[in-house]
Amino acid sequence: MKNSFSARLIVLLTLALALIMGGGMLLDYRFSREEILKRLAEEARIEIGVAISDTENWLKGVQATTQLLGRFLEQTDYSEEGLQQLLRDVVANNDEIFGAAIALDPGISDKPAGFAPYYYTSNGAVSFADLASENANYQAQPWFTAPAAAGKPLWSEPYFDTGGGEVLMTTYSVPVYRFTDSGERTLYAVVTADVTLEELQRVVSQMHLGDSSYSLLFSREGLVMSSRNQASVMKHYSQMAYKGVDLDSWQTLFSHALDGERITADFPCPETTGRCTIRMGRLESTGWPIGVVYNQREILAPLHRYEIKTALLGFGTVLLMSLTVYLLTSRLTRPLQQLSIASEHIARGDLDVPLPQARGEDEVSRLVRSFSSMNRELKTYIQDLETATANRSRLEGELSAAREIQMSMLPGAGKVFCQEGNVNLWAQVLPAKTVGGDLYTYFRDGNQLLLAVGDVSDKGIPAALFMARSISFLQQLAGSDLAPDTAMARLNNALERDNQSCMFLTLFLGALDLDSGELCFASAGHTAPSLLRQGRAQPIAQETGPALGLAADQAYPHNTLQLAPGDRLAIFTDGIDEAFNADAQMYGVQRVDEAMQAHAKLPLEACGHAIIASVEAHAGEQPQSDDITLMLLEYGASNTRYSSRGFNPGAELTSRIESWLQPLLQHWALPPELIMELNLVAEEIATNVDKYAGLAANEQMLFSLALQANTLSLEVRDPGKPFNPLKEGHRSTLGADIDSAEIGGLGVHLIIQLTDRQSYRREDGHNVLRVEKDIPAPDFGSPGEQPDD
Amino acid sequence: MDLTTTVAIDEENSVARVALAGALNTDTAPAFELRLQDVVKGGYQLTVLDMKDLDYISSAGLRVIFKAAKQTRSDGRKLAAANRKPHIDKVFDILKALPDMAVFANDEELDDYLDSMQQRVRDD
Repeated sequence: MKNSFSARLIVLLTLALALIMGGGMLLDYRFSREEILKRLAEEARIEIGVAISDTENWLKGVQATTQLLGRFLEQTDYSEEGLQQLLRDVVANNDEIFGAAIALDPGISDKPAGFAPYYYTSNGAVSFADLASENANYQAQPWFTAPAAAGKPLWSEPYFDTGGGEVLMTTYSVPVYRFTDSGERTLYAVVTADVTLEELQRVVSQMHLGDSSYSLLFSREGLVMSSRNQASVMKHYSQMAYKGVDLDSWQTLFSHALDGERITADFPCPETTGRCTIRMGRLESTGWPIGVVYNQREILAPLHRYEIKTALLGFGTVLLMSLTVYLLTSRLTRPLQQLSIASEHIARGDLDVPLPQARGEDEVSRLVRSFSSMNRELKTYIQDLETATANRSRLEGELSAAREIQMSMLPGAGKVFCQEGNVNLWAQVLPAKTVGGDLYTYFRDGNQLLLAVGDVSDKGIPAALFMARSISFLQQLAGSDLAPDTAMARLNNALERDNQSCMFLTLFLGALDLDSGELCFASAGHTAPSLLRQGRAQPIAQETGPALGLAADQAYPHNTLQLAPGDRLAIFTDGIDEAFNADAQMYGVQRVDEAMQAHAKLPLEACGHAIIASVEAHAGEQPQSDDITLMLLEYGASNTRYSSRGFNPGAELTSRIESWLQPLLQHWALPPELIMELNLVAEEIATNVDKYAGLAANEQMLFSLALQANTLSLEVRDPGKPFNPLKEGHRSTLGADIDSAEIGGLGVHLIIQLTDRQSYRREDGHNVLRVEKDIPAPDFGSPGEQPDD
Repeated sequence: MDLTTTVAIDEENSVARVALAGALNTDTAPAFELRLQDVVKGGYQLTVLDMKDLDYISSAGLRVIFKAAKQTRSDGRKLAAANRKPHIDKVFDILKALPDMAVFANDEELDDYLDSMQQRVRDD
């Protein structure tokens, strides 16, 4: 699933969509942010403006009330009681005014201490204090002298009022003048109104931006009148402990604000993270610098809310989108997934797995349809194949039965060794296909031995059938006493009849007189046999007629060959001389002759095997192209008895050898004593080979036993590792005391002691050990009386 | 040919009599070796290999007898052969095997030997 097509599609599509969405939202955010910032700045400006103008109005109200009181005094004479009543009303009716005083110029007053009534708010009621007491000396107070000296209304610096309200306050003083009769203007009184700093702070605190924001108010001389920290009030701004803003900055801020300029400064927030801003200006009515401190983050809170909202919206959209993409992709690729699973099943051989439904005309549906048609065809194909295989194996079974039948037509079923009088005969046929067209046969008729080796044109079943016909005609020749040439002409006519397919047979047909050694023969286009005589082999001279079965009434020349004792004759088909190797070189008659010469010393059967092995070695990996037949004939072996057999190494080896050797030697009428000794020698040799040659389970050691004249010879050939038991074999010291005697290594002693001659040679990758034993002729002597004993 | 081995024990005289019949060759030697080993391990003073019915012996068979002779010799006990046929004798001769091994030509010689052994035991 992780690597599936749909998973990749979902991831890629979601990523692409998220990128596009994210880009769009980022752009939108940038524009919106500008908008919002602009709007926030405007709002802050308006809010501060409103708060300042509220403060201004509040202060102007105080100023107006006080000035109105002064105007009254300027134009009207009141009695002392009247003035006190007026003053009391002013304090009682104006919440913003904490206290008010009318201080007459002492020169005008009747009393020596002057006249200065003061009303102030105390615990919700209006109280009275007389400022014109001896010790008050009001005419020396700054609230009196300063406006009188300036000749205009003034706000005092904040101060702590003693003897009156006992609170922090600032006082607005208005000088009242009257004109004398001479028109001279003289100071009549000073009218004051007190405002508590507490009240001022309340008004100013309306100016704030954000939760942690607070306002600042300074007097003209720089005393703090309102701040967040009550402890700073009444201190000079330079003494304010204020993190993040140094004194120089404060001075700059203060002086610019005092001059009526608007000024802003940024600094790191003292209590929270982020930047804070201080904005300062001046109250026009009083000339007091006023300011507000706020946290930028709080101002930008709406922007942050917007950012979070945007992010959440974006995230939700991407989530919804990927879900949609997932659903759509799954729906679209479901047939593909099912197809993939189905194809895995099909690959495992389960062709009946259901395929997904294909609707519509899209690519996937078309794929599903072609896949299902492929599946159907595959099923049909496999069924056909199964049928064909069944047919084929039936055919193979029939063919192998046919092979058995065909081979049963040949003496020895395709491989034979026999002795007829003084003639040894060995023959073997190896078909290139299951059935073939080569044939050999022989039969004895009195002292005549009839021999035939033939080769039907072509291979396989047609050749095999024609071969069967040929061999049945050949068998009809038995007892006919016909000369080979005449017999050949008859065979030709018989085969030519009804030979619609124009098959033909090349044939060597011979009759050997066992007594005289004269071989009469005829050849129907067959390769000339090779004769080995006194160590040299060459093809014999022959005159041949046409191949059999092509045209009727042919004449075949009569050939004769006189065999001498010891002669060997090789009659073969072209499967041998026309065997090709990988370089397209033929084996050739020359090589047949060489092989005959090379293996002249071998017993006939071993010689035959060696020649065929040589042909097979020549062909190498090339498949056998034609049927191979070889017949070897050995003449003059009247006093030679011979037998050979191959043995695989392994269990029961001794018994297997014994069960071959024992009856054979008994058949050759050798004395029991000798049989036992030869058995012993054979066992010791076999045990040595088994132990040291390292034969594979399918490799054989070939035992050849021959009795010629008065010599019994045993030759053992094995394809194992080079090993000469006569030299390399372990041999214990004989006659040693039992304590020092070795256990084992006795076999070679027995071999040497029980035979007369021993030799070893390495030949064609084979170990060949030959031992010979002389037999006292003619009655084999008596047991236990060996000459060397 | 097969080998048949019959073992008779005379506990009184501590004599084991192993009768061999058939052929002692490469095929039959391993089984015989096991059988003989069992007898030798019995610790009898004398082990007699009765070869009256032994028709054939090869070096593999001799090897087994050799080994047993070595073992009994080292334990101070004896291994003897009795009733060897001429051709078996010849194999022993060729290999000069066990020159100092007690050999009894026939049952009488063996019985005499056993009697003398018994006599000696009684005398002690």
